[in-house]
Amino acid sequence: MNNLAKTTAYLNRCSKCGSCQAVCPLYGETKTEPYVARGKLFLLKSHLEGKLPLSSKMKEIMSLCLLCKACVEQCPNSIPVDRMILAARQEIAREKSISFVKKNIFQHLLKNNGRLTLAAQLGYFYQRAGLQWLVRKSRILEVFRGELAQKEHLLPKMAKHPFRKQVPRLFTCSRPKLRVAYYTGCLTNFVYHATGYAVINVLRNHELEVLIPEQWCCGIPALAGGDEKTAIELARKNIDVFQKAGVDVVITDCASCGSMLKEYADLVETPEARAFAAKVLDFSQFLSEAVSFHAGENEIPGLVTYHDPCHLKRGQGVSGAPRKLIKMVPGLAFKEMKESDRCCGAAGSFNLTYHNLATKIGRRKVQNIQQTCADLVITGCPSCIMQLRHVLELEKSPVRVLHLAELLSMTYPSRKANKERGANKTKSRRGRC
Amino acid sequence: MLSSSLINEIQKILGKENVFTTLEERLCYGYDSTPEAFLPDLVIRPTCTEQIQKILKLANLHLFPVIPRGAGTGLSGGSLPVKGGVILDLNRMDRILEIDEENLVATVEPGVITAHLQEEVEKRGLFYPPDPASLKTSTIGGNVAECAGGPRAFKYGVTRDYVLGLEIVTPKGEILQTGGKTVKSVTGYDLTRLYTGSEGTLGIITKIILRLIPKPEAKKTMMIVYERLDDAAKTVTLIIKQGIIPVTLELMDDITMRCVENYLQLGLPLDAEAVLIIEVDGPIDLVEKQINQVGELSRANGAREVKIAKNEKEREEIWAARRAVSAAVVQIKPTKISEDIAVPRSQIPVMVRRLKEIAFRYQLNLAIFGHAGDGNLHPNILCDKNDSEEMERVEKAIGELFQAAVELGGTLSGEHGIGTMKAPYLKLETGEVGFEVMRAIKKALDPNNILNPGKIFGSG
Ligand SMILES: Cc1cc2nc3c(=O)[nH]c(=O)nc-3n(C[C@H](O)[C@H](O)[C@H](O)COP(=O)(O)OP(=O)(O)OC[C@H]3O[C@@H](n4cnc5c(N)ncnc54)[C@H](O)[C@@H]3O)c2cc1C
Repeated sequence: MNNLAKTTAYLNRCSKCGSCQAVCPLYGETKTEPYVARGKLFLLKSHLEGKLPLSSKMKEIMSLCLLCKACVEQCPNSIPVDRMILAARQEIAREKSISFVKKNIFQHLLKNNGRLTLAAQLGYFYQRAGLQWLVRKSRILEVFRGELAQKEHLLPKMAKHPFRKQVPRLFTCSRPKLRVAYYTGCLTNFVYHATGYAVINVLRNHELEVLIPEQWCCGIPALAGGDEKTAIELARKNIDVFQKAGVDVVITDCASCGSMLKEYADLVETPEARAFAAKVLDFSQFLSEAVSFHAGENEIPGLVTYHDPCHLKRGQGVSGAPRKLIKMVPGLAFKEMKESDRCCGAAGSFNLTYHNLATKIGRRKVQNIQQTCADLVITGCPSCIMQLRHVLELEKSPVRVLHLAELLSMTYPSRKANKERGANKTKSRRGRC
Repeated sequence: MLSSSLINEIQKILGKENVFTTLEERLCYGYDSTPEAFLPDLVIRPTCTEQIQKILKLANLHLFPVIPRGAGTGLSGGSLPVKGGVILDLNRMDRILEIDEENLVATVEPGVITAHLQEEVEKRGLFYPPDPASLKTSTIGGNVAECAGGPRAFKYGVTRDYVLGLEIVTPKGEILQTGGKTVKSVTGYDLTRLYTGSEGTLGIITKIILRLIPKPEAKKTMMIVYERLDDAAKTVTLIIKQGIIPVTLELMDDITMRCVENYLQLGLPLDAEAVLIIEVDGPIDLVEKQINQVGELSRANGAREVKIAKNEKEREEIWAARRAVSAAVVQIKPTKISEDIAVPRSQIPVMVRRLKEIAFRYQLNLAIFGHAGDGNLHPNILCDKNDSEEMERVEKAIGELFQAAVELGGTLSGEHGIGTMKAPYLKLETGEVGFEVMRAIKKALDPNNILNPGKIFGSG
């Protein structure tokens, strides 16, 4: 029995009450029933009853899901809609085979750090030199359709060298309380180095030994694209590496990676996988639960709000910790935004594949941000950061977006992280309205 | 089936992107919140009244059914395309056109979500009371077409009590304006009332004028646990006799509580026969006084536990329990047949006992909850529609429970409508003459039986 067929019991639990309509960001923008969980579940049910083939329309409909779990949280019968969509994508990929380019990315690029780095460097040169032909040749953007120019704007500036090549493998500490490993995630590694430096800086201010082992993509892009096999292979590699590293905790700075790493236990189903998954903690969760966090003395004046990444709040059940930490930053005022846990539209590569729709979803988020008058948005997922910055810029908003680690890092006396970020950029005024 | 040239013509009226033709898309517009599903031939998504007019004229020419659909949360099968045809999805017409604060009136398009309207008017210190448990998803158009009620109906009435006027596209494609912005109006037949609760069979509602009231200053909510159902019913009668009109008087039976508890873990009692959720609203002093009065009354009448919500969070918890009910009961079995009888208030204990007795006799799982203030009960039969033997028992039980409701001076449906699910039983209540009068109205307005065929009257 394939993974999809295993979900029949869940399908029978859907009472078609339509509660999912109220929270689905895609339904909110499109008001189109096939895009909401109720519709998708009905289609999957029809398929399993033999009434509907896995057509290309089905493929499109199943790919139109942010996997944000808002419906899962809302569902009175706790149907794990996201897992069912993943199972459907997997089945579709098996039957229809994943597009040639996507397959290449999942099976060759993600599994090979050298090639992934090369691809990122191609991206860097492309942006530096405007060498359009290079991208066309490397076929990176070909996976995604249409609106090329706008998508290029969405892509942030690639770093020249990967983060992990720039920092030592081990940061020692004279009397470490814990030995922690830092799982950097691809976006930190290839794009947002400032986040990486900030994470290390904050950890080093808490008497910890920090290890950054060689590591692989967490596998979530492959899983979301229907390629479970590649995801499992990547999981195995990571489990192996971190087991050998002999650490107490594995910390992530990326909500999506974090939720994926925690799911290794279900994905790989070995004792090692369970042991590994149990060690994974989100950066904010670690600071507020495992060590007693203390902020530095630097005051950060300003008004700040917080965006809950889907994979942090609903994926890992972490929403109190980041708020608690933000409120410990000296000088800062905090204001909650409306719908703080509504998806920003990033959803992995969703914003590349369906740029227009993702931007509409992002606009609603930006409106909620603007209503708070905050001059800074904090969040805990690099993918959200990319999307929020993109949409804020489209809306010509001066609001800045930082990872929680960057904010916390700024409170300590200057080290490298502060130089990277330019801590003094934050205006002294409180709020923008 | 519609010919491709006809589909072309429809696409010309609406724009290609607003016409769904694929099997996958059509499947998603063939169900509502009942267990049934059908396949429409086409789904269209108009954005204005003129487009709807053109479609209905075309429908009379080519004789295809047109079925209006809001959010598809109906519980009587109202939006099901039982005879195929064109689903007319009204979600794209979702503007609040005006909130007139001087005249306390709002004008909206039918696709506005109920909760959205409530939020908007409450921002202005106003109040739109009808509150079906589905309010975060249901549309105002669907609420008017079903004359939706909700927990607040006991004090504030149902949708009907707030509809002042309508813009309707008639089955032949003409525009009809009924009522207006005034609370009083006696010019001829009360067409507004005729259309409210017409279940999409007499016209497409394209604009709605709603009465608003000032928002009550304060409200207080409490939950009361009873060892015995009769004590709960007695308390309700006494409260009203004392001149207290609570906004809501919600009742949940033991099975319902178990389902909700399983889902929300709120610490609901699992060994009590009934729970009442009571809310009072009004000026702040009065509310304090009344909630305490209700507390004393219930303690004196066999309540085991009285819990008054101290803050918004506790209030939300109590309501979360009630709101979860309708959907949480499917944990017992996948298929939910949600009934909607109403009886005179004093007959509630008798009705509940008869319901339990019927369920016992047919060996069915039955959860009962509802609005004790207005006698509107929702007996939910939990079954499995793939089990044909069980479904036969369900059929018989439903017949008996309708019979019981009518015998006690009640009605088949308090707020969900007749649709397809209750059509076979309509005459039980209306009698032959009532049935014929209704059918004559339908025939006069929709001679070609274009709009929502197969509803209310069955396969006529
Ligand atoms: C969990 C849950 C809880 C519920 N709780 C309640 C409750 O407390 N009280 C209550 O009364 N109901 C309740 N309902 C039932 C349902 O939500 C209401 O009947 C609601 O009014 C339906 O609105 P809708 O937009 O979903 O309409 P739909 O289901 O789409 O349609 C309902 C009927 O209205 C017609 N219609 C829709 N729009 C128009 C229009 N613009 N013009 C003409 N006809 C139209 C359709 O043809 C159909 O006959 C509940 C349902 C669920 C799933």
